[in-house]
Amino acid sequence: MNKLHISDLFKTVFMLTLAYKVSDILLNYTGIENNSALVFVLAVLVISKITEGYLWGIVASIVSAFCINYYFMYPYARFNVTVAGYPIAIISMLIVSIVTGTMTSRIKQQAQEALRREQQTRELYQMNRQLNDERTAIKIEAEKEKMRSNLLRAISHDLRTPLTTIIGSTTLILEGGANMEEEEVQRLLMDIREDSEWLLGMVENLLSITRFRPGETKLKTQPEIMEDVISDAVIKTKKRFPDCNIQVSLPTDILMAPMDSMLIKQVIINLLENALRHSGDKEHIQIDSYQKDSYAVVEVSDRGKGLNTALEESPSSDSSKGHGIGLPVCESIIKAHNGFFESENRPGGGATFRFGLPIQEVEQDD
Amino acid sequence: MTDTKTILVVEDEKGIRNFIHNALTTNGYKTILAENGRNARAAFLSQCPDLVLLDLGLPDMDGIELLKEFRQWMQTPILIVSARDKEAEKVMALDLGADDYITKPFGISELMARVRAALRHKSLLTDNSGVESVIRIKDLTIDIAKHTVTKDGEEIHFTQNEFKCLVLLGRHAGKVLTYDFIMKNIWGPYSPSDNQILRVNMANIRRKLKENPAEPKYILTELGIGYRMLIE
Repeated sequence: MNKLHISDLFKTVFMLTLAYKVSDILLNYTGIENNSALVFVLAVLVISKITEGYLWGIVASIVSAFCINYYFMYPYARFNVTVAGYPIAIISMLIVSIVTGTMTSRIKQQAQEALRREQQTRELYQMNRQLNDERTAIKIEAEKEKMRSNLLRAISHDLRTPLTTIIGSTTLILEGGANMEEEEVQRLLMDIREDSEWLLGMVENLLSITRFRPGETKLKTQPEIMEDVISDAVIKTKKRFPDCNIQVSLPTDILMAPMDSMLIKQVIINLLENALRHSGDKEHIQIDSYQKDSYAVVEVSDRGKGLNTALEESPSSDSSKGHGIGLPVCESIIKAHNGFFESENRPGGGATFRFGLPIQEVEQDD
Repeated sequence: MTDTKTILVVEDEKGIRNFIHNALTTNGYKTILAENGRNARAAFLSQCPDLVLLDLGLPDMDGIELLKEFRQWMQTPILIVSARDKEAEKVMALDLGADDYITKPFGISELMARVRAALRHKSLLTDNSGVESVIRIKDLTIDIAKHTVTKDGEEIHFTQNEFKCLVLLGRHAGKVLTYDFIMKNIWGPYSPSDNQILRVNMANIRRKLKENPAEPKYILTELGIGYRMLIE
């Protein structure tokens, strides 16, 4: 603050000295009719502009008034306020100096104020945006948390049911021992195997979920030929359901799409299993693949009881294991690939589940 | 085939070890069981098994290291037992000289098929050591000298690279060949780093062979790993 005052004082002295020098030079040419007053008013104006506050402008104008009176008005080098018009001249100059000085000061202050306000607005805006970001982050987090707990609830239910069968059946066999009918043991063992396989499918789906976390890590995709993935999924499904009949129809052109092939395979297996388990039809499962617009499309259709009845089955009913996490997992996997997932009833009965992945051009080897 | 084959089973899970042991002995094989890498190494050196079933997740060492050691000593077929979501591990094991892999969980029939294939592959290699000029797989005949492929007596035309792929797979029939292995063998050491070109060639081969995607007869795609020519 002190430093500022000193530099302002220096500026004031400098400007006044300059005004004095200029007036001094002009005096040699103009004589008594000099315009030193104007020169000094100009100096005061400049001083007001380049110094802090009103003070220096006013000081400069007072000094100027006396300076003009003393040096540049007849009689020179002496104060004389008696000559007619002189006091008026001095007072009006004082007033001009003070008014211009305060005006420039005010303009300067206003400019500073405007700058300050702009900065404040910017800060406010930034703060607001930050708050908004935080709010949406919290919302997403809550949404995720809800999904997670729903999933966990579904999983623990879905795990408990087959485990109950397995533990119960094995206990029966172990305790019953030789007294049990061969046929009965066989039936219990079949139940155990079926439920174990179901558990395995569940675990595969859970593994798929841990393979990608939406929004956090990007999928590790690489271009894959759709029919390779379909073929692998169909072979695997047939291994688990040896008596099923799956018709595969492939496009003549090779369809390639960037994907995590393990996840897409899991989607196709889920859709096939869903058709086999829930449609009530194991004979007419059909899987088609074709290109539509810029998508490599895969379609799984059956001739079963159709969509509504299949979906109405509540997953919490203990009579059936329900769809478990299969379909939601499929949907989120496809969404993570920027693809589309849809389902509809077929004309003539049955349901179709369809998904498409953005295609990648195939380079042919010559 | 009258002599009993000995199989070294390296597996730390008691349940799985028991189940594999039962399956193998009921199918007429003799087993040596090892629950960790140290025992496996000792058994491998002292008893010279005909085949090794190796689980990569061992309590005392990395299964991959054990695989490298075994490969340095002998060309005994090695069948890797691995978890589902570890493609990279499988590819690494295959590139390091493992003959095949089987993914947990597996059924008995699948295990026996792999064991038979690995043992057969060994005898195939010692029989004709890859200089045979005609390869026969089911109704497919690949004549390397004449550069022709016939299916059920009918000739099928293949491009140069497609033919090379078929020959390579045929020479190693029954064995999984990794993408990398095939790329290096056919497109040379400066082959493109992505294997798209290979995938497209294989897709074309399959179309020409009129493969049923639900039940491939000749070539099986091992997703994320490579291809296998089927012999059974």
